[in-house]
Amino acid sequence: MQPTTSTQTKSLQDESLSILTSENLDDMYLSFSLGSEEYAVGISQVVEIVGLPRIMAVPDLPDYIRGVINLRGKVIPLLDVRLRFRMGERAYDERTVVIVMDVDGAPIGLIVDGVTEVREIAPSAIGRNANGAHRGAQSAIYGLGRIEDRIIVILDAAVLTSDCEIVMAEVGAGAKEHA
Amino acid sequence: MLTPVDKGTDGGLLRISADKVGRLMDLIGELSLSVAATVHAPELEGLELPNFEAASHRLSMIMRDVQDAASELRLVEVEEVFKRLRRMIREMERETGKQIEMVSKGADTLIDKLVADRLYEPLLHVLRNSADHGLETTDGRIAAGKSPAGRITLGALQQGNEVRITVEDDGRGLSYDRILAKAQERGLFAPGDKPAPDDLWPVIFQPGFSTASEVSNLSGRGVGMDVLNTALTTLRGRIGISSEAGVGTTVSLHIPLTLSFLDCVILRHGPRLFALPIDMVSEILRPQASSITRISASGAAEVLRQRGETIPVIRLDRPDGSVEPADGILIVATTGSGLMAIAVDEVIDRQQVVMKPLLGRLAELRASWGLALLNNGDVATVLDCERLVRKGAA
Repeated sequence: MQPTTSTQTKSLQDESLSILTSENLDDMYLSFSLGSEEYAVGISQVVEIVGLPRIMAVPDLPDYIRGVINLRGKVIPLLDVRLRFRMGERAYDERTVVIVMDVDGAPIGLIVDGVTEVREIAPSAIGRNANGAHRGAQSAIYGLGRIEDRIIVILDAAVLTSDCEIVMAEVGAGAKEHA
Repeated sequence: MLTPVDKGTDGGLLRISADKVGRLMDLIGELSLSVAATVHAPELEGLELPNFEAASHRLSMIMRDVQDAASELRLVEVEEVFKRLRRMIREMERETGKQIEMVSKGADTLIDKLVADRLYEPLLHVLRNSADHGLETTDGRIAAGKSPAGRITLGALQQGNEVRITVEDDGRGLSYDRILAKAQERGLFAPGDKPAPDDLWPVIFQPGFSTASEVSNLSGRGVGMDVLNTALTTLRGRIGISSEAGVGTTVSLHIPLTLSFLDCVILRHGPRLFALPIDMVSEILRPQASSITRISASGAAEVLRQRGETIPVIRLDRPDGSVEPADGILIVATTGSGLMAIAVDEVIDRQQVVMKPLLGRLAELRASWGLALLNNGDVATVLDCERLVRKGAA
């Protein structure tokens, strides 16, 4: 019997509740790191954040889906965001966490290097690229959030977790034209 | 003993959303894992704790009762499905110009709500077939000395772990000669073969098989049976048929009582765990190298020779693409298209697993029915052998 994962659960509610009372949930983002880059997903789709439990392998899925976990009786597939973006693989450590999300009614967990914070990013502070689908591939980037002198890449969870090809050209290059 | 809660004026019935029941089931699953983790905590090893032992024993007993009570929550009467079918009878009467009387037996039989929801479509197809092909016209019935109205009986009966649902008509019965001719035309039987009726009838469930000379609105396009087969596969059910000329035809669907639990053999292949429903397992063996033949002319396919039979050997992919060890274990499984042997590294256990549906990205698992939650919290992929055969590998 493995120890239950609930002890590792960092409840989002406590952290975000005070903010939620005054702010709009749609403008709240959970940011996380991949190497030196900072990314974010909309908080409304995030269910909870857990430490990395034991992953069990399943056949027939692309390699960026690392397997499934048993989270208190729920079976959740895990997507390694680094592998999804074809970034270098990095050994999981004690900072590695899983962001459990509910995307269109199906649970999925994102494996990221570590979570940073929950914060509000106003729509006016988000630069959006007008690039939709091209050559059958879609952009997993919703937009680029500007916070003081930092840039946070805001991801489109539906595209990120889907099986479609994602456009790689403009990752971290919102200002540049892609070739 | 607990006193039952006072029944309300509405006969004690509550309407509860399926989501709430699902949430409760999840929590109870979680609770039972936590209870097991507490009761079997390693720190307790070797300690003499009589009061704790008694209390934890009682806790485990209650836990089991709670689990049983919870699984009953999702059971509904099969009448729910029968009721919907009964509404279709009037329409069938109009379309066929026949008089149809519908009766039901055992409508209070309980089945999992999830099963009930998926039973309607396949049963409707069976019913349409009975109305269209089974029953004679009113004139035909009078000429045959039968009551003018044809009778279709819907029946349900629980037998052990499965529910048997029957659709019985008092029509003309299946035509042995026409079905045999059609089966021979399609190469299912050799010309001159005279199979026993019970061996012949199942061919009507083959995809595209239809003996109806005219395509009617109701059935006869040979598609209905495909729908039936697909629905039965997802329900993990079986179909049976019996018929007597001039007396009638009975189609029976054998459906597992619940889709939540499944008795499985747990297998390990490389780092992956698989589960195979026990009723599909015909034999487990460690073959001698000499009993496996490799056929290079057929893409290095392998066959197992066993008691005069040749059984195709299926090898599941390995994540690292390494070569299979020669001395694996073979699980011989029964499928709709005969026996097949699946090569695995190890047979771990046999247990009752909790079935989890393939949601989101997991829907990409092609030869699988779902994921199985094992007693120790591990997750195994439940193999759907029918689709393994077609695909060749998992």
